[in-house]
Amino acid sequence: MAHLPLLGVKTHSQKVCSLYKRALRNLEAYYDRRNVYRYQAVLLRDRFDKNAKVTDMRKAVELLKEGENELFMLQHPIPRNFATSVGGVAHERVVTPPDWVIDYWHPLEKAHYPEYFKRREERKKEFIAMWEKEYGPADKKDEKH
Amino acid sequence: MNNMKYSICFISFIFLFMMSMLNFIFMIYFIMNKLVILLEWEIISFNSISIVMSILLDWMSLLFMMFVFLISSVVIYYSKSYMSSELNLMRFIILVLLFVFSMMLLIISPNIISILLGWDGLGLVSYCLVIYYQNLKSYNAGMLTALSNRIGDVLILMVISWMLNYGSWNYIFYLEFMNNDWQMKFVSSMIIMAAMTKSAQIPFSSWLPAAMAAPTPVSALVHSSTLVTAGVYLLIRFNMLLLDTFFLKMLLLLSGLTMFMAGISANYEFDLKKIIALSTLSQLGLMMSILSMGMPDLAFFHLLTHAMFKALLFMCAGVIIHLMNDMQDIRFMGGISMYIPLTTLCMNISNMALCGIPFLAGFYSKDLVLEMVNFSTFNLSIFFLFYLSTGLTMFYSFRLVMYLMINDYNLMSIYNLYDEDYVMLKSMFILLFMSVISGSFLNWMIFPYPYMIYLPFNMKMMVIYVSLIGGMFGYLVSNMNIYSVNKFIMTYNLSNFLGMMWFMPNLSTYGLNYYFLKFSQNLVKNIDLGWSEIYSGFGMMSIMKKNSVLYNIYQMNNFKIYLFSFVIWMVIILFMMLFNI
Repeated sequence: MAHLPLLGVKTHSQKVCSLYKRALRNLEAYYDRRNVYRYQAVLLRDRFDKNAKVTDMRKAVELLKEGENELFMLQHPIPRNFATSVGGVAHERVVTPPDWVIDYWHPLEKAHYPEYFKRREERKKEFIAMWEKEYGPADKKDEKH
Repeated sequence: MNNMKYSICFISFIFLFMMSMLNFIFMIYFIMNKLVILLEWEIISFNSISIVMSILLDWMSLLFMMFVFLISSVVIYYSKSYMSSELNLMRFIILVLLFVFSMMLLIISPNIISILLGWDGLGLVSYCLVIYYQNLKSYNAGMLTALSNRIGDVLILMVISWMLNYGSWNYIFYLEFMNNDWQMKFVSSMIIMAAMTKSAQIPFSSWLPAAMAAPTPVSALVHSSTLVTAGVYLLIRFNMLLLDTFFLKMLLLLSGLTMFMAGISANYEFDLKKIIALSTLSQLGLMMSILSMGMPDLAFFHLLTHAMFKALLFMCAGVIIHLMNDMQDIRFMGGISMYIPLTTLCMNISNMALCGIPFLAGFYSKDLVLEMVNFSTFNLSIFFLFYLSTGLTMFYSFRLVMYLMINDYNLMSIYNLYDEDYVMLKSMFILLFMSVISGSFLNWMIFPYPYMIYLPFNMKMMVIYVSLIGGMFGYLVSNMNIYSVNKFIMTYNLSNFLGMMWFMPNLSTYGLNYYFLKFSQNLVKNIDLGWSEIYSGFGMMSIMKKNSVLYNIYQMNNFKIYLFSFVIWMVIILFMMLFNI
């Protein structure tokens, strides 16, 4: 489920859309059979559609606030998250450190694996040569690591 | 490494399996000859100080060791496939072996110090295993696990220091003698508290479902069958000490409530592993409560059979999670019996054994336990706790079966489940065999004479009635569901309370931190920066200032008094020196 929208950054319609999406996700947590969920989703859509044409902004903001409140009060205690998304069980379970971390090893650490690092330096040179041949020399400003 | 035929997993499997068989043979020999061996192995002796490690081998420890070795061997064999994409497989296997080692130390020791070694080893290794997947969830869960278990460690340390009074830590010799001593009530209450932390009884329950952040093989070994039963085993060993204490009655109530609470929470939970963990919690409550009724042999019996089918259940869950791309939420699952029939077979049998379907493992122990409860003279609330929990076991098992196997498949529309992981299947079949037969073979083996139980017909059939009602509710509630009304939203607050384990996780994480931090903040404000500042820091300074002003007055005005007193002291000291006073 997405995080709460930052106040002032999103437009009103974006906030409504976000509320709608989160409400749908919440319904998914409650109604786990797909047909039942579809029925409830249609009902939810209908509730949103009824107020879609409200042009009075004061009323619209009030409705949005009510909706957020209702969602908060009815949020599922065990939300149905996908395993690898935020809040899921396997979120960031396997984190492979990026390759450039090895460049930041201490020279003493590097000295444990002399052959590997010798080969690595060669490969880096070859890679840079290949890159420059294909795309031209890299801009110094973009260099990060 | 994993593609090799003789990987570390396979070698460990062979070793542990052989150890298990060896223990099995010894156990039969010991039980036939009614043999108990107490070894005193002198580790070092120096200037008449000897450090002795004592080892107690009787049928109970050998049988438990056999089960631990068996389960750990199949779990390691299983993790060859489950953890095959793991970079640090070696670390994993070593941790599991360390776990087995500490478990052994706990099982064989009749000495409270070596029990502490095993106990602490269990705590440490289980922490390392819970945080094996290094994400935020695991870290939190690991901290909760480790700190909850630490309470038990501290209590055992206190027991050690108290036992110094009796001259030896080999408690097994002194239990009967110590039982006459009123001070032993402290020791026994501390032992009970320690066992309650390890076995996750009510105030400490929240760590067990949280510990499901560990890899599934670990859950199968550690959090279902061995580690959590360490508390029960400790109480079995100390059973002599606990008879007729007030604390044992408390334990009976708390464990009964644990059983009930876990049974209810399992019905609201959606995480596959957490459901099984809560069912473990429920069974632990059953063991604890039958233990506190004074029947340690029944508790031990249920401990062993439960270890078998619960490990199997976890392994099946592991297969499903593995195939579902790490999804654990049962709302994503359904209809898997079509795709993975063999795993489903194992799962169903272990579920049935858990429910106590006749002639599977759970039946022998659970039925006996419930009939002994029927037979005992405890009041109605205990009776209801037991029977409602039995019904709830059926309830959540049926719900699980409905969600996993009968309802339609709920994940991505095209996704191929398959049942070809023969490494996992083979290891599961070993446990499948055991969870079918272990009930009867243990029943025939460890009870020298049968329990004589006479009950009216309906009382005898009560277990079956309750199970049938529970199963029916489980089927109805998870199937007829939600078309018109959502039962969860209708009773939102109540469901929240029941589904969140009576808010116990909040109590032992947020609750513990918040109130104590608030309290310490008040202390800081009122004591450290308040009164203690006035009396110690600021107050001392003002006293010093006042006094030095006073002394200044003395010094300036009465210099001759000082000179005079100096002379007098000199005279006194001279006299003392002269007359040798």
